[in-house]
Amino acid sequence: MRKFLSLAFRNVFRNKRRTLMTLLVVAGGVAGLLLVGGFFSFMFWGLRESTIHNGLGHLQIFNAEHFRRDEAHALENGLDDYRQLARKAEGIPHVRGVTARIEFYGMISNGQKSSVFMGSAVDPGKEKSMGFVPRIVAGRYLDGKDATGNQALVGAGLARSMGVKPGDGLTLLAVTTDGALNGLDIDVTGIVNTGFKDLDDRLLTITLPAAQRLLQSERVTNLVVGLDATDHTDAVYAALLPRLAGLRQDVAVRKWIDLATYYKQVRLMLSGIFVFLGVIVFFMVVISSANTLMMAMFERTREIGTMLAMGTPRRWLVGLFLLEALITGVLAAVSGIAAGSGIGALLNRSAIVMPPPPGNTSGLPLRVIQEPGLMIGAAVLVMVTLALAALMPAVRASRLQIVEALSHV
Amino acid sequence: MEHLVDVERVSKRYPLDHSFVRALDDVSLRIRRGEFLAIAGPSGSGKSTLLNLIGCIDSPSSGHIRIDGIDTSALRPAAAAALRRDRLGFVFQTFNLIPVFTAEENVEYPLLLRRMTESERRRRVAEALASVGLTERARHRPDLLSGGERQRVAVARAIVHRPALVLADEPTANLDSHTARQLIDLMGELNARLGVTFIFSTHDQRLLDRMDRIVRLCDGKVIEDTGDQEAQHAQVSIAGL
Repeated sequence: MRKFLSLAFRNVFRNKRRTLMTLLVVAGGVAGLLLVGGFFSFMFWGLRESTIHNGLGHLQIFNAEHFRRDEAHALENGLDDYRQLARKAEGIPHVRGVTARIEFYGMISNGQKSSVFMGSAVDPGKEKSMGFVPRIVAGRYLDGKDATGNQALVGAGLARSMGVKPGDGLTLLAVTTDGALNGLDIDVTGIVNTGFKDLDDRLLTITLPAAQRLLQSERVTNLVVGLDATDHTDAVYAALLPRLAGLRQDVAVRKWIDLATYYKQVRLMLSGIFVFLGVIVFFMVVISSANTLMMAMFERTREIGTMLAMGTPRRWLVGLFLLEALITGVLAAVSGIAAGSGIGALLNRSAIVMPPPPGNTSGLPLRVIQEPGLMIGAAVLVMVTLALAALMPAVRASRLQIVEALSHV
Repeated sequence: MEHLVDVERVSKRYPLDHSFVRALDDVSLRIRRGEFLAIAGPSGSGKSTLLNLIGCIDSPSSGHIRIDGIDTSALRPAAAAALRRDRLGFVFQTFNLIPVFTAEENVEYPLLLRRMTESERRRRVAEALASVGLTERARHRPDLLSGGERQRVAVARAIVHRPALVLADEPTANLDSHTARQLIDLMGELNARLGVTFIFSTHDQRLLDRMDRIVRLCDGKVIEDTGDQEAQHAQVSIAGL
């Protein structure tokens, strides 16, 4: 076996230039896959973490009715005793904090101009402690110790539209839980940029007490659970469910992935692109290596005839060709991984910023994540592909007629 | 002396366009163990075809060939390969060494096919290389060897697994006179010392001069066999007619 391995290895380097060209093509494909895959991984990671830390959290607890029917009035499907629910969740390991939220809609006015807003009411202290602070581009974040709590963060687009800046006053109008119209004067403390233009054009964040006064309700829309790491989501979810069973109010728990529609769409699209690239690399490897292996087979026809004449089993020849393809695959995979990792490291140091994706307002840093799973996958892909490409020359070599092969010129 | 090879009424036809070419026509031949024999004849006479058939790398259109009593015409490909591996050795006109292997690795190759221990392989390879006088060149690859040395490596490869029969197709055709004579002497010595049967296909007179027996072919038929008394008797009878 050792001798056959040695023979296969030496055969691979019989025509050094041709082998080098094949290795360059295949290793280039591997490196390309790793770079694109690594960049996509970074985008997935970045989008996931920004989605979670922009306020989605890792888990959310709702009134189960929230998913069964639409609300006729604000907070109709809200959580009643949310403080008790929060305490149950806070006792679970890896839970960094639990915060209540109210989602509502209304009109905003500066006395001259009105606009629709998408409101979110938060507990500033808890949001801050859980790392859910949006990017403030002007002014400051909400002050949790302010007794009145009549403060607001305004999305950059909405602030521009309304012509407001930190320190300016605004009036909010919303429909209460009883269906009446209520108003509230607030002071703008900061302007935020979430990175999503559509959100920034409508976003208004106020404190929980202010929203509860505006909507005339003690309820909240949901509880957001923040964890110390996203990887613990499933474990905490599993631990949380039994604690919430048997409560007076029927509640539902959702993981961040169930609520992150945009993230899922982006991931699906980029995964499709990656698979497409994988298919291109597959065909690139097949075409370049099949040609090389077929030429090697033709060049060695007489030698193959000699081996067969000496009694070499035909299946050994198939094995020899497959082994040569496998060796080429291993060398290409190792070279490709080394090249991909090296180029990836250089790109990570280069601080290149890509243009903002559609719907986003800030550019994306070009970073490549070195993922062992991706490296193994790319290596397996080229090795399997090369073995498949070698199959035809290998079978043809094993089926050669000895007399004809020996007289091959 | 028992017969190692028994060729019985063998014919070989090749398709050519819409007809057939008869390369061998009803050839019968018996070769005894330990013979040093040449199949001679002009180009196209059928000598290589007969050698290929005896070597089990081609099959006859009709007739039977027995090697050590085994009817090779009835063998399945895997069994024919096993017979070649165990009982036959080949020497080719163009040497046909594996270029990426050294001389000793080339000689070792037939032993690798027989699943032998490494120490036994080494011993036999050293012995075979010594018998062809190439111990000093064992680590050289074929491209660093002269034509004569390459053919001696090929001879060592053909005898290393101690076959009953070595088939050599025009072994001196690519060698100069001096080297060819040395190679002929070497194979004669191996035949005498090891008792290995050698069958050559050749039209090299230098080689024919050293043969114990010469079988001459013309147009696929045996026209002369210097060692077969039955054939000689038949020839005399034909001449008498």
